[in-house]
Amino acid sequence: MNETILELKGISKSFPGVAALRNVDLRVDRNEILGLVGENGAGKSTLMKVMIGFHRADEGKYILRGQEMSLSGPEEAIRVGVGMVFQEGSMIPNLSVMDNLFLANERGFVRWPLLDRKRMAEAAREQLEAVGLGSLDPRTLMRDLPASRKQMIEIARLLWLSSHYGAENPILILDEPTTVLQASETEMLFSILGELKKKASIVFISHRLEEVVLHSDRIVVLKDGIVVADAPQAKAEVRAIEMLMVGHELAAEHYRESMQGSPSGEVVLSVRDLAMTGKFEGFSLDLHGGEIVGLVGLLGSGKEEVCRCLGGSESPSAGKISIRGRETRFNSPKDAIAAGIGVIPIDRRNEGLATSLDVANNINLLVLARMRRGLFLSPALERKSALKWIGEVMIKTPSPQTACSTLSGGNQQKVVIAKWLAAEAGILVLDHPTRGIDVGAKDEIYRRIRELAAAGLSIIIMCDTLEEDIGLSDRIVIMKDGRMVRDISCAKGAKPTPVDVISYVV
Amino acid sequence: MSETTGSGGAAGGTLGAVSPGARAAAKISSFVSKGMNGQIIALAIVLAIFAVGTNGLSLSIRNLQTILSLAGIPLVICLGIHQVVIIGAMDLSTEGVISLCAVLAGFLIKNPFNTNNMGLWVIPVALAIGGLAGLANGLINTKIRMPSFIASLGLGWVAQGFSVIAGKGNAVKMLDIRFQNFTNGELFGIPNTILIALALFAILFVVQHFTKLGTHMYAIGGDEALARQAGIKVDRVKIIVFVITGCIYALAAILLVARLASSNPRTGWNQMFPAMTAVAVGGVSLSGGVGGALNAVFGTLIVTALNNGMVLMKISPYIQNAVNGIVLIVAVALTIDRKKIGIIK
Repeated sequence: MNETILELKGISKSFPGVAALRNVDLRVDRNEILGLVGENGAGKSTLMKVMIGFHRADEGKYILRGQEMSLSGPEEAIRVGVGMVFQEGSMIPNLSVMDNLFLANERGFVRWPLLDRKRMAEAAREQLEAVGLGSLDPRTLMRDLPASRKQMIEIARLLWLSSHYGAENPILILDEPTTVLQASETEMLFSILGELKKKASIVFISHRLEEVVLHSDRIVVLKDGIVVADAPQAKAEVRAIEMLMVGHELAAEHYRESMQGSPSGEVVLSVRDLAMTGKFEGFSLDLHGGEIVGLVGLLGSGKEEVCRCLGGSESPSAGKISIRGRETRFNSPKDAIAAGIGVIPIDRRNEGLATSLDVANNINLLVLARMRRGLFLSPALERKSALKWIGEVMIKTPSPQTACSTLSGGNQQKVVIAKWLAAEAGILVLDHPTRGIDVGAKDEIYRRIRELAAAGLSIIIMCDTLEEDIGLSDRIVIMKDGRMVRDISCAKGAKPTPVDVISYVV
Repeated sequence: MSETTGSGGAAGGTLGAVSPGARAAAKISSFVSKGMNGQIIALAIVLAIFAVGTNGLSLSIRNLQTILSLAGIPLVICLGIHQVVIIGAMDLSTEGVISLCAVLAGFLIKNPFNTNNMGLWVIPVALAIGGLAGLANGLINTKIRMPSFIASLGLGWVAQGFSVIAGKGNAVKMLDIRFQNFTNGELFGIPNTILIALALFAILFVVQHFTKLGTHMYAIGGDEALARQAGIKVDRVKIIVFVITGCIYALAAILLVARLASSNPRTGWNQMFPAMTAVAVGGVSLSGGVGGALNAVFGTLIVTALNNGMVLMKISPYIQNAVNGIVLIVAVALTIDRKKIGIIK
């Protein structure tokens, strides 16, 4: 019963600037559901990708059914019975369910030169039955199905592939399978997984702790690339796991807390009962001058959409936004820029920066009107403005004419900040400003954020970890399932610990 | 017939005890109706407008025959291009490749310039030349990783250039009258060219819906990255599709040469635009993965009926050009999947 199918020993994996996994040991047993939890950036995804051969570990052993091996990629992984259902899905929308199920493996159905569609449909029905979709017509197009069904079909494909290749007791890895599901669908998923584990092992990643504790046979907790706990379900407790996930205490000075000021009394941005159908509702917030407010919540909590509404890239379905007492409506990001709201997006390479342009062009992008002399842009004015902000924000660049693509992540982030400062934005929305930036550069970003606040800018921030949110913010607003659930003060010297807060989040 | 179709259609996907005939009818009607309603309505509207505009002349048996015979060669070319469009690529080498195949074929059939007289054997030779051009398109696209519309645009001009060099720019008269007799002939009142086009349609329809290659073509058109991830040999499928398309261009070249009883380096000119319009009007999405051979047939019929009607109504050819241009743009606007493209360049 407790036979080990897959064993990872001493796995380490680094990406430039980040050690994603450090000496991780993990085993997957026969017929079990293994829950894998950890905060964003704890290394869960990397670990999964090592399991399916998508990433090659820098160090460590990969032992499958007692044999040490080294996978060339996901394609080989499924041949030996290790498959993963990705969050973004891998089914082709314009093909039918059965075409997707057997895609690239139709050989068994070929009666040369034709495909035996009837036999494919029969085989597909059989596979669908195993995942509780016996009533689904296998000729249905994938794009006509809801996300929950697509996921089950992906599972069916992996099961079929592994049996096709003769891999016994396959390992199915599910990456946050429940984020796209309604409550009833989640129940359904787990009852099917309970059935499937009779002939497979399931590794299941989730943010939702209750779920994991309820449905897993064993739980592994990752923190900062290290396995901090590996416990059978009977011994697992939500509270204890929360503690393990977020770590023990806050290293105060880590977030430049000594520089934390106190916000002014003036309400710069006032949001009342903002809502977006199906995403969030009843969001109200008063943002003061020089205040940093952390917006905390899981994926799907609605916080991303709130920020997009504030940045003008999406329109709320109800509610009011006022800036310095004046009610405004944003129909596009342009309106938000004009109102003084700057957004620093998570994906700065694609959304925040024109990486093929040089530093000066990026900094001046929003203020080109001010760079004009007569009809034409004045190179002298552009240069002057660029040099001013390069100095001000301390961007390390050989010259203002250097292409942004050649700068480090930290310096790219500073270019984005400089752009908004040049545009005289009074409110900044920072979407994971330290994502993918190494530790040293992070500190500088923290200091920069503090200085911006001290200069009177109001900031809404979404961070990589709860610790960072609490450490940086004057106040955190917690969202869950589209609603605001708590508004917690994080004043200097009187910050809550992540453990105090996390139970509101998950 | 209509009754059984109705009951079969109502039975939908369930496995009830439906008679085999009704099930087959339902299957056919499901292929026809799959997103084809717009095309059927458009064809009906075009025919209706010109029926009124020409006092019914456009719907005479004689004119319907004319439309069918005019549609033959454009349909062949359209069937060629649409294969490439299904995999999400583009082929603009049409005219150059047709011209090259035409000129080379012209010198191999009995002609006044040399003593060649290959007879029907010219057909496989021409197909091989077209196939080689397609192979070049496919290799440039997949191995040098160049956008297919640029690769094929360049290759088309290379082929066009060779067609002039090969024949020193001469028009070559065809002396083997069997070809001409065949293309101008008809079977039970249906022109032979359209019969050939429909035979090609039938083959491609079966390939698209009932073979591995077809499934993989649609998978690549739907999402090339995911198709690769699933284990499809994407490059190989794309190259095969380009080769098939090249062969179809060669078939079109032979039909054109036979119809005109002569070939020259301009044989392919003005052949691509109507075919491309037909691809779009038929509902084959330029973003890939949507629409098939049946769409090509409807698209070609709509475009041909439109042009035939405008001629009958004596509309100025310049206005005809403008109308065709507008039809192309509107059709693409209606069928393209903007979600998949992100940034339009």
